[in-house]
Amino acid sequence: MAKKILCVPLDPVHDVGLKLIRSALDERGYTTVLLSPDLSLEAISKKAASDDYDFILVSRTIGYGVAEILGRFIDLLDASGVREKSKLILGGKAITPELAAELGFDKGFGEHMQIDELIAYIEGRERDIVVDRLQREKKDIAEGYSYRFVHAEIEELLSDICDKLLQWTESRHSAGVERAKIREELINAGENGKRESLYKKYNSHCDSEITNGNTKNIYPTGVRNVSQEELSALEGYISTTHPHAPVTIQHNQDRPLIFKFLGSGCPIMDLVHGKIVERWGINGFLIINPSWEARYEGLLQGCLTHENDGTITSLENIKLMKQYLDPSTLLTVRAHRGLNTPETVLLAGAAGADLTKINLVYGSLGAGTDPERLAVDGVEAIRYAARYNMPFDIPGNDELSGVPAWKTLAGLLINVMLGKKLGAKPILKPLFCYGPHIVLNGMMDQNFVDFNAAKIYALRQIVDCPIWPGEPIAFMTQSEERVQAANATSYHAALAASLGVDVVTIASTDEAYSRGPIAIASRIDTIRAVTDAYRFMGDAQISPTGQADLFTEDMIKKIIEVLKEVQSKTSLAEAIYEGALGNEEDGAYPGTFGKGTLTAASAKI
Amino acid sequence: MKKAMDRVVDTVDIETYLLCKNESEGKRLALQLGEDLNLGTVDIMFQEFDGYGIRVRLRKYIHKPGKHYAWLKPEEYSDKG
Repeated sequence: MAKKILCVPLDPVHDVGLKLIRSALDERGYTTVLLSPDLSLEAISKKAASDDYDFILVSRTIGYGVAEILGRFIDLLDASGVREKSKLILGGKAITPELAAELGFDKGFGEHMQIDELIAYIEGRERDIVVDRLQREKKDIAEGYSYRFVHAEIEELLSDICDKLLQWTESRHSAGVERAKIREELINAGENGKRESLYKKYNSHCDSEITNGNTKNIYPTGVRNVSQEELSALEGYISTTHPHAPVTIQHNQDRPLIFKFLGSGCPIMDLVHGKIVERWGINGFLIINPSWEARYEGLLQGCLTHENDGTITSLENIKLMKQYLDPSTLLTVRAHRGLNTPETVLLAGAAGADLTKINLVYGSLGAGTDPERLAVDGVEAIRYAARYNMPFDIPGNDELSGVPAWKTLAGLLINVMLGKKLGAKPILKPLFCYGPHIVLNGMMDQNFVDFNAAKIYALRQIVDCPIWPGEPIAFMTQSEERVQAANATSYHAALAASLGVDVVTIASTDEAYSRGPIAIASRIDTIRAVTDAYRFMGDAQISPTGQADLFTEDMIKKIIEVLKEVQSKTSLAEAIYEGALGNEEDGAYPGTFGKGTLTAASAKI
Repeated sequence: MKKAMDRVVDTVDIETYLLCKNESEGKRLALQLGEDLNLGTVDIMFQEFDGYGIRVRLRKYIHKPGKHYAWLKPEEYSDKG
């Protein structure tokens, strides 16, 4: 016989929760009676005594004096004999099982109660198994994009620039390209006797800091091997833990996917952070390497940890990440800054990473690589990305130096065309930021919406390509104040969703704090904020003003001007040297790492 | 009894509001609070004086990347009771 349940909203105002529960109980065939919220305790007690209820389900938020009211209610039920025939359940905000027991109830549920918990209790059985693993599929960010250029003039300019670039690189070679080739042979060599001579050959193309690490275990400051004990402990930790009731950040839609950086320096710390935020719904991670890694010829080998920012991108470290992150989680490896770009992409592909990160222009600016060197290394890196079928994202962070957005976007588009010509799958990564050029020119004085939206509109009028605002979104709008940082992230994430982009990278609420590593609690802060923003927005849209269209029109016009200037140079490198994609006045300087290191392709290195 | 501090993944952050006469007194009190709570020297991540007191966010790193983590010892993760 169906159990009979009396639902009692003791709260004078809020009985919506109880109504929802009642509806769920009715659906499952229970007989329920819902009282009105304005009855006296005596009237409720009388009603409870008037029938044979199996359960009395009381809803009440705990506040001042409420414990006394509930105690009196229990006394009345005792006196009327209800206590002997009915089980008493208390639910509501701030209720705990302990508090409910203390007040004399048989069972208590808090605000996060799931309906199946209540039903399991009513039916006197264990609750069904709680979902304790991620139930999601890996997404292909580039899926469905044609990479067709819809702006003919820009397509023609880009095609010409990239043809010239490819022709220019054909006759040039670098130690970075050579090492990648040797490394590929090493990966394919298995355990045969050839390995030793290949290692020797590899080390002969490395700086002494790297050779010392790889041959003598003498590492740069703060670097050490992860011990076998630590690896075993990590295995033990991960195999004995699991996510409880995993969360999905997106609401009503699949996109944008949400990425976070990992790069604490230590792959174990990265993985523990990674596992925790996977549970909170993060879809993917970008491994960020130490800044010094970019300056040396050659990469360290082995499972290594580092006491400063940036996790070393060794094959073993990337494999470790892939081994323990959920199969549905996407992993991308930054490759474009420094002297090891082709090899980094190769390692990412060989280790099973899903994406990589290459921008020949941004990678050649600021504290980056010499433009000629990166032209050669970058082209080879994109070839590896294509071979491993890894989409590569093209970050537009040169805007943070003060480069105008149209120059940055022109640079991104050059990479898109190059990727297309080399059979790879590029992803545009315009910044959602309050960059210096924007600040100086008042483009965001009215709001943070229009100019960011204009970047997306402009790119969509040029090419059909995935878009991933970064990196992270809300750059330079976040302070060290926790709530402000979370809010700024969530607003930008809401704008990204509204614009229908594919992915966003979000920071943490300690992103603006520069005196120490990112903390796990701060990572969760922004994820919660974005999850709430997506719940709030649903399918609704943020509507940019008419100014966004004016910005878009102007942006496309200026992108064309920039590309014409780049086209007029003999090579992309020359265009970067001469400031066509960011000059000294903008705050951008050609990189110097690896300057003068190119050789003729025909010459043996 | 196991130490709760050993289970801190990375940092202990404290957010509070301290009554004070000016920003420098507020900062001094914030740092003293870290000492009073036996955290040693804490870093002031954020401070904002509003005339009545100071809103602060303090941080102490318990486990920094690259070091040895107390929570990674098998006796810590295998017996969470």
